[in-house]
Amino acid sequence: MSTIIQEHHSKNILYPPGGILMWIIIYLELITFGAVLIAMVLYSKDEPELFHQSRLQLNTTFGAINTLFLLVSGFFMALTVGALKINNIPKSKLYLKLTMFGGFLFLGLKTVEYIDKIDAGLTMGYNTFFSFYWMLTLFHVIHVLVGLVILASVLRTMIKKPEKLILEDVEASATFWHMCDLIWLLLFPVIYLIF
Amino acid sequence: MKQKPFLYVLIALIALTLLSAMVSNSEIVYAKELIMILAALKFLAVAFYFMELKQSNRFWKVLLVSFLTIFISLFLII
Repeated sequence: MSTIIQEHHSKNILYPPGGILMWIIIYLELITFGAVLIAMVLYSKDEPELFHQSRLQLNTTFGAINTLFLLVSGFFMALTVGALKINNIPKSKLYLKLTMFGGFLFLGLKTVEYIDKIDAGLTMGYNTFFSFYWMLTLFHVIHVLVGLVILASVLRTMIKKPEKLILEDVEASATFWHMCDLIWLLLFPVIYLIF
Repeated sequence: MKQKPFLYVLIALIALTLLSAMVSNSEIVYAKELIMILAALKFLAVAFYFMELKQSNRFWKVLLVSFLTIFISLFLII
């Protein structure tokens, strides 16, 4: 087994888990999403009734189930990295597939939700609430898609060239995937539960 | 590899998600505040355990907690 297991310098400021570059990206993403969510709250002060009525047209159950899909997927991602750290490639591969399956379930349910909204005429231009809804959730979906492409590339390496697998690369991919969780954990309560 | 801690965190995350949905459908006076606190707890659990931030330098923890504090505070103040 030639997976490169390098010693972690996790307590060193320059070596956060997943790499410093990935964490800089995460903070930038969180600030971006956070700023748009705050803007959404500000806009809701002008039209509180419209935001409330629009929020009631969202399917909270879909939102909650999608949260569970992402959380379980994140759990398997953490196990993937854990298995790789002890050089257990077969288990790591299995956990990674389960991680990706969670991502696909999320996208599948999101597609059903989007089709419902489009059929009901609740598109981006319908009102201010739905402009924010589409902008924020679509931007998040793009992140999930990018995450899945990254994980597919890791899985491909695991299957075809396990000797070229680098733990730090897998950790960086995992960190990106968890970032999708973090963003969704802010979007879900604000968009689906509060207004 | 220790799987149990991750499993406990996952169970806690699922419980908090269900609790958030229940609070949102209830008539609790401070529902908004409670939902945001529950969201913050889930956010920190994912970051500190799944992302292993717990084992990183204090700088990264402080930065993330600061972001979350500012976001939640702004959200509740506005």
